[in-house]
Amino acid sequence: MHGLGVACGIAAGAWLGSAEAPTKLVDAGYSPIVISLCMVAGVFTARWTLPTLMKGTRYVFADLRAKAHLIVWGILAGALWAVANTLTVFAIKNVGLSIAFPLWNTNSLIGLLWGCLLFRELRGGGAKNWIKVVGGGVAIVIATITLGLASVHPSGGGSPHAAAGVMAALGASLLWGTMYLPYRKAYLSGMNPLSFVTVFTVGELGTMAILASTIHVEGASMAAQFHQLRPEIFWLFLGGFCWVIGDMFQQYATKYIGIGRGIPLSNTNQLWGLAWGALVFSELRNASDHNRFVIVASSLLMIVGAIAIGSASAAAKEHLSVNEAIARECDRYGLDYNKAVAAQAGLAHGEGGDDRAWWDYLIIVIGLGVFVYLGIGAHRPPLEMNVHWIVILATALFALLGASGWMLWKKTRFS
Amino acid sequence: MKKGLLLCILTDSHFWIPVIVLLFGVALLIHLS
Repeated sequence: MHGLGVACGIAAGAWLGSAEAPTKLVDAGYSPIVISLCMVAGVFTARWTLPTLMKGTRYVFADLRAKAHLIVWGILAGALWAVANTLTVFAIKNVGLSIAFPLWNTNSLIGLLWGCLLFRELRGGGAKNWIKVVGGGVAIVIATITLGLASVHPSGGGSPHAAAGVMAALGASLLWGTMYLPYRKAYLSGMNPLSFVTVFTVGELGTMAILASTIHVEGASMAAQFHQLRPEIFWLFLGGFCWVIGDMFQQYATKYIGIGRGIPLSNTNQLWGLAWGALVFSELRNASDHNRFVIVASSLLMIVGAIAIGSASAAAKEHLSVNEAIARECDRYGLDYNKAVAAQAGLAHGEGGDDRAWWDYLIIVIGLGVFVYLGIGAHRPPLEMNVHWIVILATALFALLGASGWMLWKKTRFS
Repeated sequence: MKKGLLLCILTDSHFWIPVIVLLFGVALLIHLS
């Protein structure tokens, strides 16, 4: 399953990074909380489109009933995401993206720590695998930091609230890194990623709604801002759609290769965000030669890190160690150990079947209808875009979606 | 949710790590806003 997990991690990076592109089309001037709430609503709506085609609601709800304790974990993961995302807003406001982004992107190292400490990842993996995974993870974090510093214009460096901004970014890193703990917990128990994402999006939307209603929103009232934002909500929903696809692949990567390998791979999203910014929106047109060199070198370092992790296939001893972590979950929550091990190996095909109910199609139509409704009359800001690169990047995205999706279907039937 | 299951969750040492981190995040958010 290692190759499948690596393919999912790479596809996750591509789609999570591309989720940033549509949001660039939204005019500045709205409260970040309002923007974040719209994007999360888009994520929630998108969950009921393509993922419902992969597995119907009957399967998902049967899976959730069989592992009811994971509903709490899923909601907790969604809440962690929402709070972390809001913290990043404060971090950007106080220290600027160039400082905040690298700080919160260290979340993969926190995920790696939890994976090793709590889920026995990398135990028995041998020195070679340790060097590849930890070295690859560190290389990706370093590349993320240098990419962030070279590609983003510094802003707010002299902010009087710099310490608060740094704290917010580090807090976001801690929350996101810890969010992978529920992810891994779910997959050691044999849960299907589609079931987990269902609960996750509910936790995310619920928490974001609570935050939006309790935290003071800058500028006009929230209702007024929503009204003004109406022609641009489509772009936020489109960003949410890309995010859901990326997150689905991230969940499958976590399931099949663990947090330690899956998360650093999906954190290559920075490379894709940069590709959209530089190639489609020409954001680096005024960058100096030095910055261009740093960007190319960092991108290569990130690719080397991803290759190192991708080549660190788990040995038999490490699989045994992971099985001990599965046994812990099964003992505690009364799950069937053999079924959980089979699910880890992608062999839980037959359970629940692939039949769809008529309402599944209705849900998909309604979900897509929301996108069409928002798309009609969506305002496209007069922003210069390179159509040639849009076609190339979109083709690469769909090629990764098709190839990784096909591998998932072929080997696991999306289980 | 059954009482036994809830007890299993609450006595799971893994459970309290994300809960404490979440509470820390919310406290930080309140402090910043």
